[in-house]
Amino acid sequence: MSAAAIPSKQSAEAAPDEQAVPQKSALRRLTSTTAFYIFLVDIALVIGFTFLSQNQVFWSLQNFESLLGNGAEALLLATAVTMMLAAGIFDLSLGANLILSSVVGAIVLSHLTNSRTQHASAGAILLTLVVCLAVGAVIGLVNGFLITYLRINSLIATLGMLGICTGLGFVLSHGSDITGVATNIQSGFGLHSVLDIPYPALVAVLILVALWFVLRYTRYGARTLAIGSNRTSAERAGLRVRTHLISLTMLGGILGGLAGFVDVSRFDTTNTSGHTLDALAALTAAVVGGNALQGGRATMFGTLWGAVLAYVILDGLVVIGVSAFYQEIATGLVLWVAVAIDSSRYRRRE
Amino acid sequence: MESSAGSDQTVALAASHVQKRFGHVQALVDASVTVHRGEIVALFGDNGAGKSTLLRVLLGIYRPDAGNLVIDGTERDLASIRDAQAHGIEAVHQDLALAPDLSVIDNMFLGHEVLQGRGVLSRMGILARKRMAERADDALRQLAIKLPSVYVPVRDLSGGQRQAVAIARAVMWARTAVLLDEPTAALGARQSEIVCELLRAVAARGLAVLVVSHDLPRILKVADRVTILWRGKTARDEQATSLTVPDVVAAMVGYEGRAA
Repeated sequence: MSAAAIPSKQSAEAAPDEQAVPQKSALRRLTSTTAFYIFLVDIALVIGFTFLSQNQVFWSLQNFESLLGNGAEALLLATAVTMMLAAGIFDLSLGANLILSSVVGAIVLSHLTNSRTQHASAGAILLTLVVCLAVGAVIGLVNGFLITYLRINSLIATLGMLGICTGLGFVLSHGSDITGVATNIQSGFGLHSVLDIPYPALVAVLILVALWFVLRYTRYGARTLAIGSNRTSAERAGLRVRTHLISLTMLGGILGGLAGFVDVSRFDTTNTSGHTLDALAALTAAVVGGNALQGGRATMFGTLWGAVLAYVILDGLVVIGVSAFYQEIATGLVLWVAVAIDSSRYRRRE
Repeated sequence: MESSAGSDQTVALAASHVQKRFGHVQALVDASVTVHRGEIVALFGDNGAGKSTLLRVLLGIYRPDAGNLVIDGTERDLASIRDAQAHGIEAVHQDLALAPDLSVIDNMFLGHEVLQGRGVLSRMGILARKRMAERADDALRQLAIKLPSVYVPVRDLSGGQRQAVAIARAVMWARTAVLLDEPTAALGARQSEIVCELLRAVAARGLAVLVVSHDLPRILKVADRVTILWRGKTARDEQATSLTVPDVVAAMVGYEGRAA
């Protein structure tokens, strides 16, 4: 067989030695991603809001710190969404997971809080964290079981879970938010900063970077993307697809539980009514950043820039004195534009 | 790997008197097929004759209701694809079974990933993509397959190149047999010829090759033996040289199935 044996555009000029050469330079591949464009939009917005804000207060340490603090929970959920989307499954229950795990965690911690000093021991706070993560893990486990063994579509399975967790959260909290939670969870973690970066934001970014590494360089990541790209092919390659999907929904659930813990630690109480749309916001961030809804292609940094986008718009509008209601409108518009650009690019490549 | 040219006497893979029923459909009534090492066996049959079902039984995807499987001379029971893989049986499916978003390397090593380092590092499951790329390059070169790069996503390859990658992957992991379902169905004439040459190259490595196809003239030329299914039964099983395309068609439509 000759070099031109398989007729195609490329093989005619491809010498055997060139086999291992990637088609495009690393820089060109980087700058052709949706994540990169969204990053540029983020920068443009930061610059824009800085000049529009009075005395350029948008460009202040204080403002960035509050941005990071507010964004941590959203970033955790968006990271979870990205992992699951990579394998082609949705999780609409993440916001409800946050609510339920924060309620259960807050109840546990309020019982372990000294009512006089309003403090709790480090052990009690650690236990609260474990409880939040465990609630999230169980939610993820049930989601995974529904999706794989009962073959319920992931949208539907997690939609049911959304209702159940939200309802359970209200039942356990008797419809009002849990109070009497130790204040040192706030001073020690939720509002604590290192180098002006709030702990929760630091944790969220570290987890995002770790999972970026997992997706890009590990067997677990490659298998996750393989399942999202073509589930049948993954099954035929001998992968334990169901076990893998359950591990992913549990990972997502645990991140939801962690977001619940962060919520309690930042506000020293629960917020049962403030997180009902969080799962959709997380999905928006992931999709704006260039993650494929059908799975197989994932970009963690796209998710980061997508999440940053929503929070920069929100914060920026507040700082320049425009009603925050416009943030939702703006984010919705950005979602359309980002997805339209992304899908037209993929059509051209096909 | 022993590379005995031509077929030797070991039965690499065989199914005998297999039955399989799905609800009201008796897909396989009495199907048998035998492939020796180094041999190319063509499995022909009309639509609904049970070719794909038999292939899936041999891959552990379906369990037969009756009959038995022999792998490398020993009777075996296959409960899953992983069982079949453990016995060195790999397949090239009609829809290629590649993940389009993954690179050629990641596809070729899916389920057989090579990991970085030892101990803790290997438990983290970090891929050794460099070593994987070298081995993939090697495997492709041995089958004389040329690709622009093993790092490109499979979606960027032509149909012929994808088929070549799927075959190379199967050959890379097969120790006993390679099963192919309609390997030339989506290809042009020239690419089909290349696939046929690949089949010969695979058999020459001492692997058993079982190919299901509708491409009668082309596969009849490349096959050593032919098994023809008719309504879930093995109607004929003989040397390819003794058959012509009209013979095969007659058997496929049941003309000779009972008379012969």
